[in-house]
Amino acid sequence: MILTERFTGLDPRTKLVLVMVLSSLGVILQEVLLLGIVWFLTLSLAALFGVGWRPILRRSRMLFGIFAAMAIIQSVFTTGGHGFLWLGPVSVISSLGLERAGGVVLRLLIVVVSASIMATSSPREIVQGLSQWRIPYELAFMVAVAIRFLPLLRQEALETLTALQLRGVALEQLPWGRRLRVYSYLLMPMIAGVMSKSKELALAVEMRGFRAYSQRTAYRVLRPRPFDYAVGGGMLVGMGLFLWIVY
Amino acid sequence: MIGPNGSGKTTLGKVLAGILKPTEGRAFLAGKDTRTLSLGAIGQAVGYLFQEPERQIFAPSVYEELAFVLRLQGKPPDVIDHAVNTMLGRFDLSALRDRFPFSLSRGEKQRLALAAVLVNSPDYLILDEPTTGLDLKNKRRLGGYLEELLDAGVGMMIISHDRAFATGYATRVIELSGGVVIRDSDRTLHRA
Ligand SMILES: Nc1ncnc2c1ncn2[C@@H]1O[C@H](COP(=O)(O)OP(=O)(O)OP(=O)(O)O)[C@@H](O)[C@H]1O
Ligand SMILES: [Mg+2]
Repeated sequence: MILTERFTGLDPRTKLVLVMVLSSLGVILQEVLLLGIVWFLTLSLAALFGVGWRPILRRSRMLFGIFAAMAIIQSVFTTGGHGFLWLGPVSVISSLGLERAGGVVLRLLIVVVSASIMATSSPREIVQGLSQWRIPYELAFMVAVAIRFLPLLRQEALETLTALQLRGVALEQLPWGRRLRVYSYLLMPMIAGVMSKSKELALAVEMRGFRAYSQRTAYRVLRPRPFDYAVGGGMLVGMGLFLWIVY
Repeated sequence: MIGPNGSGKTTLGKVLAGILKPTEGRAFLAGKDTRTLSLGAIGQAVGYLFQEPERQIFAPSVYEELAFVLRLQGKPPDVIDHAVNTMLGRFDLSALRDRFPFSLSRGEKQRLALAAVLVNSPDYLILDEPTTGLDLKNKRRLGGYLEELLDAGVGMMIISHDRAFATGYATRVIELSGGVVIRDSDRTLHRA
């Protein structure tokens, strides 16, 4: 896949522009149809970058619950469109509710999937890209650390949930009110874990001379190529045109 | 269960507790396949002490840490208070009852984790390296308490590379190396 290689080999800054364009469109646009178009565009780009279908599918499935909940909430609390399912005077499923919920979920999907394009660059490249954009190295480094730690966080959350259940909390038997309390107990170890880990990490990097010198040299310097300008510029111009045509 | 680092003790312990489902073969808890049991149901019968105490600390205070599961299980307040205070005394934690658990020292966290597992009065215990971080006095205390539990008929498996501690109370010693059981005394021993 030579094409995939060309795209994944893009400057991380170009990818950042791309991700920002897609997620801004996802946030700015209101109509479900337009969001659908952007979603389609995001998917095609993700495919060009060789992002696997399976993680995308898995994430979409997780969002399905949100879609169902949002659809009902929006249907109950908005008046408009026509109702499909009524519970007395209250419309439980209405066309407007479905539309709004669809909008929210499409937005989330656009942001999540476009962000996975960033993951096709190594953390080292991202730090380098950001610091060449004159973002302070400390900040750039933190971004890279965050990217590195996010999957671990997920893993940790799952393990914490396991440990909590093993303490004899039978989640499936608890009524909803208590179950919510249980989830609040999950937050505590996760936040405390993140805090202590970041403190330790900060200390550890300082001990290794992270900020000993104010200047840094980099062995690897990123140079954008014509293709970078073409893709980045193309995306920006495309976004401008798109918004101009629509509004 | 004894064996060197990385020999698979923790892994086997987790399989036995149903945390990991076996890819081959089957694991049974009280005659039931662990694959059919929910973690919550397992946790009510089996007390599992994780090797890392941070894994199993959830509440904002030491007292609360011991109390919250009992409360979620709907036990009456006076029963909870009595059980928690007994455990605090047993593990020398009374003076720390209002402290934030995450800032306790290593050994204090270990004691809290042990107390939290035992406050549920489980029928069976799987303790992964229970003596890590404990000073001599607390190690002896733990030993004494485990012996009381054994006398009361609580079953337990102790995972440790502290051979003397693990085998001191054992009626069966299993030794692992490289993921394989290399020795199994198979119930021939008597408690020391
Ligand atoms: N989640 C995992 N993924 C991949 N390998 C793992 C995982 N957990 C453990 N292992 C590996 O399995 C082997 C056995 O690990 P285990 O934790 O069971 O060892 P142990 O006997 O408990 O060691 P220790 O004495 O250090 O606690 C190790 O080589 C470890 O690297
Ligand atoms: Mg282990």
